Amino acid sequence: MSRIAIISSFAEEVQCAHAIEELRAAQVTDFKSFSPIPSHRIEHAIGRTKSPVRWIVLAGGISGVLTGLAITIGTTYEWNLNAGGKPLLSWPPFIVICFELMILLGGIFGFFGVLGLSGVPTTESQPGYNGRFGEDRFGIVIRCDETEAERLESLMKESGAEEVEREDEAQHS
Amino acid sequence: MSSGLQSVRHARASRKPQPVESVAGARMQTVGVAMIVLGIIAFVLALTSGRAAIAWEAYLVNLLFFLGVAQGAVVASASFYLTQAKWGGSTVYRLGEAFAPFLWVGFFLFFGLYFGRTLIFPWVTHPIAQKAAWLNVPFLFTRDAFALGVMAAASFAFIRVSRGEEARAWTIATDDIQLPPHSIRVLAPLVAILFAVVYTLIAFDLVMSLAPVWRSTLFGWYFFAGAFWSALCLLALTAAVLRGRLGEDNLFTNPVVLHDCGKMVFAFSVFWIYLMFAQYIVIWYGDLPVETFFIVQRVHHMPWSPLSVACLVLIWVIPFVVLMSVRTKKSPIILGTVSALGLVGIWLERYVLVVPSLSLDAIPFGPTQFLITIGFLGAFLICSVPGLNRVAQAATSGEPVGDDEE
Repeated sequence: MSRIAIISSFAEEVQCAHAIEELRAAQVTDFKSFSPIPSHRIEHAIGRTKSPVRWIVLAGGISGVLTGLAITIGTTYEWNLNAGGKPLLSWPPFIVICFELMILLGGIFGFFGVLGLSGVPTTESQPGYNGRFGEDRFGIVIRCDETEAERLESLMKESGAEEVEREDEAQHS
Repeated sequence: MSSGLQSVRHARASRKPQPVESVAGARMQTVGVAMIVLGIIAFVLALTSGRAAIAWEAYLVNLLFFLGVAQGAVVASASFYLTQAKWGGSTVYRLGEAFAPFLWVGFFLFFGLYFGRTLIFPWVTHPIAQKAAWLNVPFLFTRDAFALGVMAAASFAFIRVSRGEEARAWTIATDDIQLPPHSIRVLAPLVAILFAVVYTLIAFDLVMSLAPVWRSTLFGWYFFAGAFWSALCLLALTAAVLRGRLGEDNLFTNPVVLHDCGKMVFAFSVFWIYLMFAQYIVIWYGDLPVETFFIVQRVHHMPWSPLSVACLVLIWVIPFVVLMSVRTKKSPIILGTVSALGLVGIWLERYVLVVPSLSLDAIPFGPTQFLITIGFLGAFLICSVPGLNRVAQAATSGEPVGDDEE
């Protein structure tokens, strides 16, 4: 039995989101959606949990604070200067260094985290991707067994798909 | 704008909730009057029984706190126009303006300080020669009264326009391109800038001059940022309370609105700690005795240091940690509690700014100060009755708000 890709395109964001909700209600999970604009509506429909990039940023922030502490405490012990009779390790100025490094490393980790998690830059386009999904159409590509194809195609049409195409996975691989 | 979104809006407008006429009325007024009477009795008793100093301290602390909250709330409404905020329709504008009548009360209560001047301002009895040109009784009372009067007049001119039909139509228009009406574009920035100038002056004259040798140029900014934050806390608290009292489908049941209130409480709490630290670190680095004593006696010496730590916890630690998550910002109970604690924190902060300058060795807090605070609170409540009813009306009118999405 061969795998089939069903490519549907939608003119409206709402229809696309609605179709995704229908798919999820029908227990279909193996699909991808394409959108020419960043769309919260589609994100909500997919029901995606929050991006793990937050943990990468947290890790960056914590390593920033630790770097800041290492720099401030390390250089203080290295030079051992008595400034105005203050204690050698005085925390108020350290806060500034730690804070700035937390922001810096958090930002850098976040930037590369987003790149890494979203798999860009890439030279290959996704199977089923159509140039219009970057212009004025919303797309859903479902991968399923041949036996299910009929049902899913009609489901997509009922949800307001403009066009529904069928492709054999073998052509892509 | 997609047709789907518009249909959502139509759906919301069509299941129009029943307008609520009043949330605050005779009962709140009776309670308010009782509170004022208690406050006046305590104040007069203290004056006549030789405890005039503590009575005036409490008077000044409460005047600064409640005036700051009432004015900060009007400035919040003005800043919503400046940022063209449409996340809460006209309701959040009415919410910011609800507490404004206290501005006039505070303006008249300010003159009361004249009768306590010898007990409040150390430089009245022990003049400082170099600063006498600025710190003298006639000049201080003239300029501050003028400043507060102008501030209140500008605020009411702004509110008048803001409550007008043109401004209201703008706040609920879903077309995001239009600018607010012209008069708003003049008055809203005026109110915001006047707030910065007038409350810097108030901070210098009514707080910094209590320790007349101390100075910090950032102090005015710090003071009015705190007042603005306390107003945001009051808005969030009121929103959280009204949510449960206005029937089923009022604006505050929309979690997006509470989320936005929570974001502001969170953000300006961070702003407060930023300004506090910016002052602290400059004074710490300079290490000049004339600057450090103000901080040392509040942060490092008993009995004040626990109070200072409490301020820090209530104003920054708790809001920062608790309101970091989306879920807590959307929860009326959590957001309301954090905001109420924040209001307590700002009151305490005003107390710690004022009182150690006057009585250093002990914390003078007892029934007298408590009852005077209650009196001020009563006056504040009575002043906000008509405003709160306007909020209730706007929140239950079923008008559309800016955007459903996050």
